[in-house]
Amino acid sequence: MNTSLHACFNAVGIELAELPHWYCCGTTFTLARDNRMSLIAPLRILAKAQQEDGKVLVPCSICYNTLKRANYMLKENTETLDIINEHLEESYDGNEIVLHPLEFFRDNEELVRSKVKKSLKDLKVGCYYGCLLLRPQQEIQFDDPEAPTIFENFISSVGATPVDFPLKVECCGAYLVVNSPDAAVEASYKLLRNAQDNGADVVVTTCPLCYYNLDALQGKMKKAHPDFKEIPIFYFSQIMAIALGMEEKKLGLEQNKVSPYEILKEYNLL
Amino acid sequence: MNEILADKDLTRRIEEISDQKLSDCYQCGRCTAGCPFAEFMDVTPNQVIRFMQLGLKEDLLKTQGPWFCAACLVCQARCPRGVDIPRLMEAVRTIHLRAKEGLIDVPEIDKEFLLDAPPLAVMSAFSKFTY
Repeated sequence: MNTSLHACFNAVGIELAELPHWYCCGTTFTLARDNRMSLIAPLRILAKAQQEDGKVLVPCSICYNTLKRANYMLKENTETLDIINEHLEESYDGNEIVLHPLEFFRDNEELVRSKVKKSLKDLKVGCYYGCLLLRPQQEIQFDDPEAPTIFENFISSVGATPVDFPLKVECCGAYLVVNSPDAAVEASYKLLRNAQDNGADVVVTTCPLCYYNLDALQGKMKKAHPDFKEIPIFYFSQIMAIALGMEEKKLGLEQNKVSPYEILKEYNLL
Repeated sequence: MNEILADKDLTRRIEEISDQKLSDCYQCGRCTAGCPFAEFMDVTPNQVIRFMQLGLKEDLLKTQGPWFCAACLVCQARCPRGVDIPRLMEAVRTIHLRAKEGLIDVPEIDKEFLLDAPPLAVMSAFSKFTY
């Protein structure tokens, strides 16, 4: 994922710099209003990024959601911002600096189109948004929470054929895979099945956890539903890297559990 | 005979932790209708809220419903009364976790799974289900 993302940005002339001494955002955003402790990690990340004087590019849906929500909350609630700032060496003013790669590619669509080298038009791609890029809309403001289109537009801009499917905004089971794997298997199965029923050859996602659930749980889906046919899952930057004609070692395909090679060869993409 | 005693203290705590007003919910059930995990819950999201509204502490703290909430926020997006239901589910989990009652026993998690799964799966589950 990392290699393909860096390669895609390099191709459009952007050098991504890793945030120095970054740490985990705490993963999920806390939903308990009196839990200020969980806001410290995202706030410190935002403060660091602010010091670097740029935007912080966040491809993972969970991190993106956590940073945007923490940012929103601290902007709305200056009292909490002041309390947390008191405990930090850095200070943060609540400015909006969080950016998702899909937002960057949307704003630079012509540039992306001009770099496409391989035709993916025969590849039908189910665009899976999941939850955290979209909700809560008031705080994230990424796209329409029920009928988003930014991902389909991105897939079109790299030359592939996007496939719309109703369950593209439903949950894959997320971290329930740890303690209630059956719930995650069932949720992921339903949405993959829905993508296939609408004609998708492959499904793409932006969230590493969705990616894991949709990809790694397919064996268990098949056990529960013997008629289920495996479907390759891609991280969005892998599809883009293929379209930009990157060499195979930059695609990170060895990370995919469901083999993507057959379908890519079928469409002469490898 | 079942004795029903409303626990006002519990209702107040839930409202405090979640910053939601329980009387806003008029029990239309739309949260449950859209919830991808309702079928796994012994008590569905709108029923959990009903327990809260009535102050049924024992019933509320016994239900497994909130532990199946993945905070996907579909219910939050669709609630016609603007109730942030995932915050209510988190409030129930928070009450348990602050009483040192977690859902996951970390040493019990399958080692092979831990090596295979992305760290953010495990970290998310820990942050929601352990104290």
